[in-house]
Amino acid sequence: MEEDGLPLRLDALTVTYGEHRAVDRLSLVVRPGEIYGLLGSNGAGKTSTIKSIVGLVRPTAGRVRVFGADAVTESLRVKERLGYVPETSLLYDALSPREFLEFVASVRRLDAGTATARTQNYVRAFRLEAEFEEPILTLSNGTRQKVLLIAALLHQPPLLVLDEPLNSLDPRSVRIMKELLVRYVAGGDRGILFSTHTMEVAEQLCHRVGILDRGVLRGEGTLASLREKLAGGDATLEEVFLRLTDESEGVRAAVDALESHG
Amino acid sequence: MSWREAFRLSHVAFTELSFQAIYAFRQGNLMPPGPARQVVARARRRVLQSKAVVSAMLALLALGVAYALRDAPLIASAFGTSLPLGIFRAGLLTGLFSLDVAFLWWTGMQILPTFLASGVFPVLEPLPIEDRTLSRAAGLLYLRLFDLPAITVAFVTPLLLGIALGPWVGLAALPGAFATVAFALALSLLTGRFFVRRVQGSRGGGGSAVVRWLYLVLWLVPAFAMFGFVTAAPAFFALLARVSASGPSIGGDLLLAAYPYPFAAVTALAAGGPGSLDLDATGALVLAASVAGYGALAVWSVLWLFLSVRRVGLVPATLPRAGAAPVVRLHPGTASLAVLRKDLRIASRTPGYAFLILLPILDAFALGLWTYATAPSAESALALALAAVTTAALLATFFGPAFFAIEVFAYSYGRTLPLSDRSLLTGKVALISLMYLVASTVVLGLTLVRVFDPIVFVAFVVAELPGVVAAALLELGILFRRARARGLPITNLYAGAWLAVLVSIPGLLVAALPLLAFQIERPGGEAIGLLVMALVAVGELAVCLPYAFGRGSG
Repeated sequence: MEEDGLPLRLDALTVTYGEHRAVDRLSLVVRPGEIYGLLGSNGAGKTSTIKSIVGLVRPTAGRVRVFGADAVTESLRVKERLGYVPETSLLYDALSPREFLEFVASVRRLDAGTATARTQNYVRAFRLEAEFEEPILTLSNGTRQKVLLIAALLHQPPLLVLDEPLNSLDPRSVRIMKELLVRYVAGGDRGILFSTHTMEVAEQLCHRVGILDRGVLRGEGTLASLREKLAGGDATLEEVFLRLTDESEGVRAAVDALESHG
Repeated sequence: MSWREAFRLSHVAFTELSFQAIYAFRQGNLMPPGPARQVVARARRRVLQSKAVVSAMLALLALGVAYALRDAPLIASAFGTSLPLGIFRAGLLTGLFSLDVAFLWWTGMQILPTFLASGVFPVLEPLPIEDRTLSRAAGLLYLRLFDLPAITVAFVTPLLLGIALGPWVGLAALPGAFATVAFALALSLLTGRFFVRRVQGSRGGGGSAVVRWLYLVLWLVPAFAMFGFVTAAPAFFALLARVSASGPSIGGDLLLAAYPYPFAAVTALAAGGPGSLDLDATGALVLAASVAGYGALAVWSVLWLFLSVRRVGLVPATLPRAGAAPVVRLHPGTASLAVLRKDLRIASRTPGYAFLILLPILDAFALGLWTYATAPSAESALALALAAVTTAALLATFFGPAFFAIEVFAYSYGRTLPLSDRSLLTGKVALISLMYLVASTVVLGLTLVRVFDPIVFVAFVVAELPGVVAAALLELGILFRRARARGLPITNLYAGAWLAVLVSIPGLLVAALPLLAFQIERPGGEAIGLLVMALVAVGELAVCLPYAFGRGSG
């Protein structure tokens, strides 16, 4: 294993489902101390990229490395180093949050003191006390999302992979999460890959963004550099996004068509 | 018009339900590879296969009883029973209808959690469809879950009885068969509601877990009837003999009023003629009233089903209750222990899995009680206790592969955790071994009173343990290899009984070999028998351990 100090490195990652190429030779890195925003429309390949990082999809070609460890040949090592929040909160419905977090803490080999102290902090912050012993089956989507966030943060991993993590959260929890993520990488040794299609969130949080369109990385850089290159100094990320994905004209045409059909 | 529309809607909903039953996508399993059309077709085919397996078992049961009824005079004389032929026939038919109810109910128990969690009704409800059509669609969907097995009980059973004993007997069995199906389906829905409220929605924590397991035991006792009836059959026929010997009596009338005996009695009357049950006027009146009453109740059950299925499908599982905030404290353990605890916790809120854990233990309890109550000497008590442990070992081994299916829950999340195959396998094997040891301890506890020296018993349990572990390792090792090659297999009764049964065959052979060695060597002395048994079991473990944990197993 070659330890390269980079939280995440994708080299020409390709994911295909039958004839469909969901991700096409995608290369990017998440640097230490960085929140990297992966942006794209629905079906752009964000979730397929993330699934191949966390071991749910085997790459058709290319490599995924987490701190130098290969996601295919050293999958357990990779899984130990990351915390993951999936797009949909499909959890063990028959367990309570306590039972679920106890399972995760056991698999992550945390001792009781550390696991309890961290869980107490997060449960208090997200106001989860009342639901802590209820079966997950009975919880709202937002509460399930909070449970998943706690599970991802419980072992304080050096890489967080978050697929639309703020979906379904209430405004208070969204604010807490944003602050938490900024502080999480402030030490300079951890990294976060953050997938979203909410441009405002990406603008507020991400140090760099990559824009995916039909599996291909159309542009990458800091928001300032992308603005400079594409849309002029005062453009919003949304305008940059639409320019890069060639959708500016498409959006106008779609709205015109909707109006003309009443 | 609305029935046609309802049938069309139920067809669409059933496709979704088949998909969920097989692939458990809503419960967090990964989407299977391949074009959607093929995946859906595969799901429908697998559901059909499973229903065919259950139906074939029901038909075989009916065939066996039909020919036993035809040859009743021969069988009765072979067993030297003093029962009048009509009552003997009624007893056999009571057994058949009881087993049918239990089997259909058990099938319902396997599918109901998926049915309630499928979210089919909340999708249909906001659409502009007539209220009546939606209720009918819900009722039809529910009936489709049971279609082949229900048709087998309602029509194939009377047909087989008719072929064996004459058309009038077949016709006489029709009301009983219909009522059996109606009651089983209604019981499934009622217990499904109960399950959602009291078991699936129960809070975490030690106290709640104990209450939940007690509820599950209570609930599973009737489903245990399938197994229990076979054990209790001699006692039931003894009861019939006592009642018939005393002539017309209140006891006899009570029996005529207890379902399913009245329907069995009517069928037996059709087979043997009016005098075959030796009924007086009161008895005839009780019989007629019981058949009419249960018949009306069966019709009402069907109507209730059509009205209730939709409502039950729409009610949210349970809502979180307001209560005192619990103390936030975690007690992590090793990864294997975490798998074991997770499986037990999931089983405590999932009746299909709870049944698999409780059956060997309940069976051991029943046989242990029987041993305690009937064994006249320490020697015979020991023989019965060893038989009970043998059954527990074989049952734990037989049901073992089904626990692999728990992994479909949240599979798409669970696979992202750093959980090695070794830890997962160890956790599952520990669960199967635990079932065997708990069942054995129950037998030991109940027979200790009669077996003054438990050393042989304990040695027997310990000698067989490596065999049970080896069998579990072999079965789960096969499933792990298959999972890596072809995706995660689902092995609950409704969705893949055939796979669980196939994998169980080599496992059962491995578990049975040490038991067989003991039986062969026992005449030379118990100590030698136990030694050979232990050697065989340890030898099996030495072979199965590297197979399960070695290269290629992951």
